[in-house]
Amino acid sequence: MADADTQADEDAVTGPAAEQGGRPSAVRPFLVTAGRVAGIRSSPQIPLETQVVSTAAGIEGMEQLAFERRDIVALCRRPQSLAEVAARLRLHLNVVRVLAEDLESTGALSVHVTNPEAAQDLSILRRVIDGLRAIPDVRETTP
Amino acid sequence: MTPSVTPSETPARGRAQQTATRPPLPVKMVIAGGFGVGKTTTVGSISEIAPLTTEAAITEVAAGVDDLSHTPRKTTTTVAMDFGCITIDPTLKLYLFGTPGQERFGFMWDDLVEGALGGLVIVDTRRLDDCYAAVDYFEHRQVPFVVAINTFDGQTEDNLDEVRWALDIADQIPLITFDARERGSVRDALLAVLELALERADSASRRQAAAAPGGAGS
Repeated sequence: MADADTQADEDAVTGPAAEQGGRPSAVRPFLVTAGRVAGIRSSPQIPLETQVVSTAAGIEGMEQLAFERRDIVALCRRPQSLAEVAARLRLHLNVVRVLAEDLESTGALSVHVTNPEAAQDLSILRRVIDGLRAIPDVRETTP
Repeated sequence: MTPSVTPSETPARGRAQQTATRPPLPVKMVIAGGFGVGKTTTVGSISEIAPLTTEAAITEVAAGVDDLSHTPRKTTTTVAMDFGCITIDPTLKLYLFGTPGQERFGFMWDDLVEGALGGLVIVDTRRLDDCYAAVDYFEHRQVPFVVAINTFDGQTEDNLDEVRWALDIADQIPLITFDARERGSVRDALLAVLELALERADSASRRQAAAAPGGAGS
C-alpha cells in the first residue's frame, strides 16, 4: 500500500529530526505533508494572508498531534496569517497550506478564508487609508 | 467532531465564538521592484513587526508541452519573500509583501497579487530596467500601482519628467519619489497607491450602478 509506505517513511524521518529540535530544514517538505503538494480544496490556493486560529478543541487535543501540526496549533492560539506561520516555524508556505487544511478538517484549526472582493470594497479601502494616515512620521519608542 | 467555523458560515453573530479570538480581516499590498532596490527596507520602515522571511516553493511552467504526458513541464524553485504587517484596527490588518527580486517568478507573483489592494513599484534610477517586469505585470493584471523612486541620499525630484520619459510609463500612472528608510515617506507612498485604488474602485462601482437596470441588482 503506497499510503502506508509514505506514512512509515514520514514517521521514520520526522521522528529523530524533530527530537534534535530547531532544525526543521533537515526534513524535506514532501515528507511533512506525506507527499501531498496540493491541499484538499481543489480550487485556487488559500491566499497567503489568510488568518488561521486554533480552536478550543485543537488546543485541548494538541498533545496528541505530532511535530509540525502541534507547532501550528500552539502558535495559532493567536490568530495570524499562513505566511507568518510559515516564517515563524520555518516551513515552506505550501507545506503550511496543506497542514492547515488537514488541521481544519479535524476541527483543530479555523481557516478564515475571506472574500477576495474585499480589495475593491470602498469602505475597506477607506479604512486602510484612514488607518495609515494615523501613523506618525516617527515610530514611538516603546520601553 | 465539531466542524470548524468560517466567517461566511456564522449567521449567529451574537453567539460566543468557538475560538477565543476572532481574527482580523487581512488585506495586502505588494511591494515590487528589482533586486536590492529597497523593498525590505520599505517594509521594515513601517511594519509593526520586524520583516519576516518565508520560503515558498513556486512552480515555473516552462514553455512547450511534454510529449509523453501532454502537460506543461514544470520546475519547482524555492524563493525567499519578505513581508510585514500593520494593524489598522482590531478587525483589519494590512500585510505588505515584497516580491522576490527575480522577474521570472510569474507564478509566485500570481499568488502574491491575487486580491491585493495595490502595488508599489520601487525604482532605483541607476537601474531603471529592473522595474519593467513589475510595471508590465501590474498593468497586465490591472492592479492599481504607483511607481516610486527610492531617493536614498541627496537625489531630488528635479529629474522626475526625465525618469518618466526614460521609463516610458503612461501618463496616468503616478510617479513619485520617496525614501524607503523614512516611515512617514513610506506611509505616504502607500497612501498614494491606496488613493489610486480607491479612485478606481469608486469609478468602477459608479459604472456598475449606472449599468444596473433599475438599480435593483447587487
